[in-house]
Amino acid sequence: MVSKVLVANRGEIACRILRACSEAGLESVAIYAENDATSLFVELADESVMLHGDTIAETYLDQNQILMIAGETGADAIHPGFGFLSERADFARAVTAAGIQWVGPSANAIEKMGDKMTARITMRDAGVPVIPGEEIESTDEEEALIAIQQASTRVGYPLLLKASSGGGGKGMRAVEHPEELLDAARSARREALAAFGDGRVYLERLLTGSKHVEIQVLADRHGRTIHLGERECSVQRRHQKVFEEAPCATMTEEIRAAMGKAAVAAAMAVNYEGAGTVEFLLAPNGEFFFLEMNTRIQVEHPVTELVTGVDIVREQLRIAAGEPMSCGELNIRGHAIEVRLYAEDASNNFLPAIGPLAVFIPPEGPGIRLDTGVRQGDEVTPNYDPMLAKLIVWAPSREEALQRMRRSLEEFVVLGTTTNLRFLRELCDVPDVIEGTTDTTMIDRLWPDGWSPSVPVHIEDAAFMAAAVGESAGLHRLRSTPSSRSDDPSGPTSPFATLNRRYP
Amino acid sequence: MDHQFNSPDGPVDVTVAKQGDDWILGEHKAVLERDGRIRIHLANGVSGYATVAKVDDNWWVHFQGHTFNLERIEPGATQGGNDGGLTAPMPGKVLDVLVEEGQSVESGQTLMVLEAMKMEHRILASATGTITDVYFSAGDQVQQGSVLLAMTEEED
Repeated sequence: MVSKVLVANRGEIACRILRACSEAGLESVAIYAENDATSLFVELADESVMLHGDTIAETYLDQNQILMIAGETGADAIHPGFGFLSERADFARAVTAAGIQWVGPSANAIEKMGDKMTARITMRDAGVPVIPGEEIESTDEEEALIAIQQASTRVGYPLLLKASSGGGGKGMRAVEHPEELLDAARSARREALAAFGDGRVYLERLLTGSKHVEIQVLADRHGRTIHLGERECSVQRRHQKVFEEAPCATMTEEIRAAMGKAAVAAAMAVNYEGAGTVEFLLAPNGEFFFLEMNTRIQVEHPVTELVTGVDIVREQLRIAAGEPMSCGELNIRGHAIEVRLYAEDASNNFLPAIGPLAVFIPPEGPGIRLDTGVRQGDEVTPNYDPMLAKLIVWAPSREEALQRMRRSLEEFVVLGTTTNLRFLRELCDVPDVIEGTTDTTMIDRLWPDGWSPSVPVHIEDAAFMAAAVGESAGLHRLRSTPSSRSDDPSGPTSPFATLNRRYP
Repeated sequence: MDHQFNSPDGPVDVTVAKQGDDWILGEHKAVLERDGRIRIHLANGVSGYATVAKVDDNWWVHFQGHTFNLERIEPGATQGGNDGGLTAPMPGKVLDVLVEEGQSVESGQTLMVLEAMKMEHRILASATGTITDVYFSAGDQVQQGSVLLAMTEEED
């Protein structure tokens, strides 16, 4: 039984989970750091408790504090979302030991899949091909660097350095030549240590020209393990996904069946429970290789939800409560595309941007879904990941989905903070994207010297004119913007500002 | 009314005039809508709604899928030039300082490593030269635009 869920996360995914709890009739608890006190997710929870501490390690990663709050609020389940503690077996174990239901797979399954070496052995035993690679166990900096150098000769170049307990492109470095290895390894280890508290890295051959395709799996305690088809997430920059879709444009029934079977076998091999994703690299000749299994809900889960009609987060809650999952046979309908709205300057090497969201007006209309962690008036700070929201569209065909995405991105208004909106919009016109022939190197190949927007002169004229009219008409004085809000004088308290209702 | 905005290609002068409810710029026309948006009719027949917001000195404009951030040059203000220093591209923390004062550096050499939003960014020497000043050390917080180091470029 689950009746009250503590969401151990923040931002967009916390909102997604808290809304699912509300729909499922479950009570919810949000936890938040002081700098998140006015964030959207806090307001979506039935109860919210502030975490003490300044750094991420002292707040969203503080297992003891979170468990204490769960105890105090009487939460009987913890949903970790993605990132933060979602793939920490020790936390899953501590939650379970405290008599609280962990919304996710067992600590044992997280450990097996989280440890990339064990995951590879498990997959090899299940008959799934894996990419040549090696894990460096040593935690001592100098020893690790020597081991990395030795392993690199066996793995071969180009190679990829990944954080052993990583994700989201953090602690990840592509290395083309042996002489770049040491520098890249030092910086990958440092970044991994800062983000995950674990500096161990893993080396793997970099396969170019491949698609990143992943299979969504669901497993319940009633003996059912199924897959929900694939997502393609090949369009990445700095190993961070930006454009995801389902189904994969070049997928065939045969490959889907084979990949699905492999993914289900992987889940069953570790007695998987809940939602998980098995990632593959799909080579142009149809061969596929196991990359890793993510033992949590993923950022891009909505595209699968839109084409299969399955509410994955709701199923997670159902499965955690010990109920059988409610979805039937796999039935893929239409096409869905997701783009990630980042506060970043795409024309300046995608550097994170900050500022107020003075205007935030998402697109509307049929087939559009926005999973956001922010709203108009919020401030984008450098404290957390720069992903603000996800825009997802559904349409009967891939071509129509792309048309809908273009329209949606043009309607989307975000002012006050630089975002990648225009970059995403131009991505929709790239021939490889239109053809569905994207691979993981596309962005670097298309824009080797960085991206800059192509702006027609008349559009720029209109912008200058709008700014001049705005200034001349004093628009900034008529409307309250976040920066001018503080000078509102608070007048004397009116004796009439009370609410009186008379009941018959 | 005259206004000056900064653009990547230098300052741009924009003069708009009011005729009745319309704002005029050459052949272009604009009308202020009741919701604060500006309906623009361009001379080439293109028309649409612009959404605008002013944050500090900057006008943010959204028009037909494009977003602009136009810094208004206040009348009488002088433009601060770039003093040749190396500035922080975003707010964050200094992770590592790899050079010291008086050190000669090669173009492209990593001078400093910053961290923001859990990602690392490297500050590289834009030219070959000598470091004359290092303003921050590891662990320091820096603001966007903070001058991190100063260097003199080698003359050839």
